[in-house]
Amino acid sequence: MLFADFVRFTYASLAAHRLRTLLTALGIAVGIAAVILLTSIGEGLHRFVVFEFTQFGTNIIGVSPGRIQTHGASLGAVNTVRPLTIDDAIALRRAPYVQVADPLVQGNADVKHLGKSRRVTLYGVGPDFTQALKMRVASGEFLPQEDPRSARAFAVLGSKVARELFGDESPLGNRVRVGGERYRVIGVMQSKGQILGFDMDDTVFIPVARALEMFNRESLMEIHITYEPTAPLAEVEQGIKRILTARHGAEDFTVTSQQKMLEVFGTVLGAITFAVAAIGGISLMVGGVGILTILTIGVAERTSEIGLLRAVGATRKRILLLFLGEAALLAALGGAGGLALGWSIAQALKLGIPALPVHTPWSYAVMAELVAVAVGLAAGVMPARRAARLDPLEALRSE
Amino acid sequence: MIRLAGIDRTFVVGDEKVRALREVNLQIAPGEYLSIMGPSGSGKSTLLNVIGLLDRPDAGTYELDGRNVTALSDDELARVRREKMGFVFQFFHLVPRLSAEQNIELPMVLAGIDPAERRQRLDRLLAEYGLETRARHRPDQLSGGQCQRVAIARAMAMSPSVILADEPTGNLDRHTGQEVMAVLERVHHSGGTVLLVTHDPEIGSRAHRRVRMVDGAVVADERS
Amino acid sequence: MRLGDLLEFAWRVLRGYPARTLLILLAMGIGVAAVVAVTSLGEGARLYVVNQFGSLGTNLIIVLPGRSETAGAMPGVLVGKTPRNLTLEDALALMRSHAVRRIAPLVVGAADVHVGARIRETPVLGSTADLMDIRHMEVALGRFLPEIDPRQILPVCVIGAKVATELFGARPALGEWLRIGDRRFRIVGIMAKQGESMGFNTDEIVIVPLAAAQALFNTEALFRVLVEAKSREQIAYAKADVEEIIRLRHEGERDVTVITQDAVLATFDRILRALTLAVGGIAAISLAVAGILIMNVMLIAVTQRRREIGLLKALGATAAQIRMAFVTEAVLLAIGGAGVGLVVGQIARNVAVQLYPAIPFQSPWWALIAAPATAVITAVLFTLAPARRAARLDPVQALSRR
Repeated sequence: MLFADFVRFTYASLAAHRLRTLLTALGIAVGIAAVILLTSIGEGLHRFVVFEFTQFGTNIIGVSPGRIQTHGASLGAVNTVRPLTIDDAIALRRAPYVQVADPLVQGNADVKHLGKSRRVTLYGVGPDFTQALKMRVASGEFLPQEDPRSARAFAVLGSKVARELFGDESPLGNRVRVGGERYRVIGVMQSKGQILGFDMDDTVFIPVARALEMFNRESLMEIHITYEPTAPLAEVEQGIKRILTARHGAEDFTVTSQQKMLEVFGTVLGAITFAVAAIGGISLMVGGVGILTILTIGVAERTSEIGLLRAVGATRKRILLLFLGEAALLAALGGAGGLALGWSIAQALKLGIPALPVHTPWSYAVMAELVAVAVGLAAGVMPARRAARLDPLEALRSE
Repeated sequence: MIRLAGIDRTFVVGDEKVRALREVNLQIAPGEYLSIMGPSGSGKSTLLNVIGLLDRPDAGTYELDGRNVTALSDDELARVRREKMGFVFQFFHLVPRLSAEQNIELPMVLAGIDPAERRQRLDRLLAEYGLETRARHRPDQLSGGQCQRVAIARAMAMSPSVILADEPTGNLDRHTGQEVMAVLERVHHSGGTVLLVTHDPEIGSRAHRRVRMVDGAVVADERS
Repeated sequence: MRLGDLLEFAWRVLRGYPARTLLILLAMGIGVAAVVAVTSLGEGARLYVVNQFGSLGTNLIIVLPGRSETAGAMPGVLVGKTPRNLTLEDALALMRSHAVRRIAPLVVGAADVHVGARIRETPVLGSTADLMDIRHMEVALGRFLPEIDPRQILPVCVIGAKVATELFGARPALGEWLRIGDRRFRIVGIMAKQGESMGFNTDEIVIVPLAAAQALFNTEALFRVLVEAKSREQIAYAKADVEEIIRLRHEGERDVTVITQDAVLATFDRILRALTLAVGGIAAISLAVAGILIMNVMLIAVTQRRREIGLLKALGATAAQIRMAFVTEAVLLAIGGAGVGLVVGQIARNVAVQLYPAIPFQSPWWALIAAPATAVITAVLFTLAPARRAARLDPVQALSRR
């Protein structure tokens, strides 16, 4: 049988009961739409988070004191017997492929200027901070390149702090009190906005040595390292570990590459998306039951038609393929409809809730259609076989 | 008690209009045994359906037992049908998944009659129409004659005033057909009004009053 | 028509078409089972979290150093060195509040713990004797930290079960000495196996007196202070008192964050409830698909049972009765399917309980009612159109076809 005729025949039998076909296809469509929508949201979230993270650049490694992790952060960053020092950071600059090694301490402090006071996040960093985290100064300059162990009392303000304390005036050259000590403002950062909940504009940057003193700490919380993008990550990590272990006598620190973190996060999010999509896929399963039901009824209704076909020379296999073809076509139509439906809802969501990230990759769409057809075929097997097995004489005799 | 005046009924078939009944006037007294005959397409079935309140005339009036039933709502028609009319069809129209007695019971179930009362009537009907041994069988397990007897019993279940039979022997062999006619005539003997549509002159001539129709109009109305 | 007869009529219709009845039951069953199973997973997670919090003691207030203007109440878990520390004196001052029953100051960090040649980097907690009661911890052997002046450095410690086995093997650890940094501590107690509880795995930590930890990590600053209010009703007063006491001590600055466990719990509870609802809703979409299937099958039935419908009308059935017959069929199907689904859903739940006995999987009551109800409502809704079509059939036409 020519393929074109096959399609025509199948299409005709589906078109004979338009409403029935429509409703059956609708069942599959709803299932596919649910799956597409959910995976789109999952994919959107994934991209969103990756984007947020990679705002800092992907070739970042964080070194923190201690090895024990609770909830993703190192306990040693809080308190530790073995400090990570500024000297360690300076030493790590010599590690292979390392571009920048910037020390970090973080905390909370009051910033005061002429009676106005603001509680801000305080970052004690080295002069290479802007390179490490790809942030830029809007006016003035960042902390000067000097020995971080004996840095002068300079401060760089985040854009929001500058606005709140100085209004429209330029804060450059003015003095502020940070945590009770006097600092001179030498720069204002570009507005960066919120990153994963942290407001980067409501911060003040001071030299790390002074911050350590202010907080009465010996140990840094973290050292940010950027490496050459083309360098093999494993080698970079090895180099870092070697240098620090030599200095500390033991591996008493944790090296976390952002790449690895992204991978882990990606896996977790992927698993969640899969689980949720599977739940949506239950609708698809029910849609499949729908096809099964309608086809079963259809075979019973068309018994005499099947008998006739056999009488004029159709083989069992041909009958089987005919009914399977109907099932597949039905499901494919439903799948296409579902794709359209799911995609439009996703777009509507994007418009209605801009905060919700949604993204539908082409590969998902293709997969979804294939899954729909597979469901149709699976559902169609039993009725098709029953049709193929009908005895032509009996079939013709039935009314 | 049945009074039809100026009854008109037109059907649209494809692009054409077919006037199935043309200004039919007919009066039927209670207890009459009447046959309606005519060639195919003469409107005899339509007339039966109108009398049986299965179909509504497009024009004219229909008085049943002194009440004008021409303009009743669908639900009211259904109720009157249930109480006063009993149909017997050529193709029996038994519900295939129900047993003989469940089929007979149907009108009583629809009317909401309680099971005890239904059982009583059922037993009476089964006995009267010789169906006691066949009560639990399904239609595909009954002969044609038995099926039609079940249909008649069903038609009689609500003790209707009128029995309307549309070609009741059309699907039966001659002998069985005679048996079924005997059953119908027993109903008449007990005082029921029996209206019979048939194209078989032998069957039709048994009636006491013979109405003949051609092209939607009554052309003859004889009594014997 | 009597209700009993109506039900029997519908029942016989369903039995008359076994294949399609079974398939619709299957479709409805899958939908309901999915909702029940999925919501019990979500509810299990919620109850687990709530119970975990409950095990911490619900009159708990947590005081954290640090506060930010824009971030408001959440400075983050480990962010928070400030020029003005949260000190032991601050913590002790909190006892002045009438609403506070107990306090426990906390210092945490990571350190190497040495036993002979064995070393293990372990989280070290510095606190007071009251910590055990506030955190509902249990000691398996020996005792917890003794009641001493929190400024006193006493060389004793309590260790977790896992720490004991890793550092001492099969040997009894009680009474032995270990070294942290350059200080030695005697083990006076071993914690009962508790596993992870909201952040801390007590099996893996070493607890020393507060002053000892402060010396170890060379810090005056407290990591946080745990405060137990006298009763649930007093929590709000306690919170207010705590904030005020600290503010006065810190020169009028509000540089701490005070969280009530209630608030955190409530947030988690809300989030997880919403999640369970959302996921249940997704599963319920399958019921809508089942409804579409019912509509499809009913429409076919109207066509296939034309003669029967025509007959019923001839026998005097009203339009309403015809509609009721169809709707009743649909309702029976929905209830049957829902019944099967509930059973299967419960089985799934039992399987989950077997796999993860720690989590209290249980379908929320609203799901057990909503799922079958949705099934029935969907079935009825999707049958209305076919039922109306059936009721409108012209009996003459319906009966005339062979």
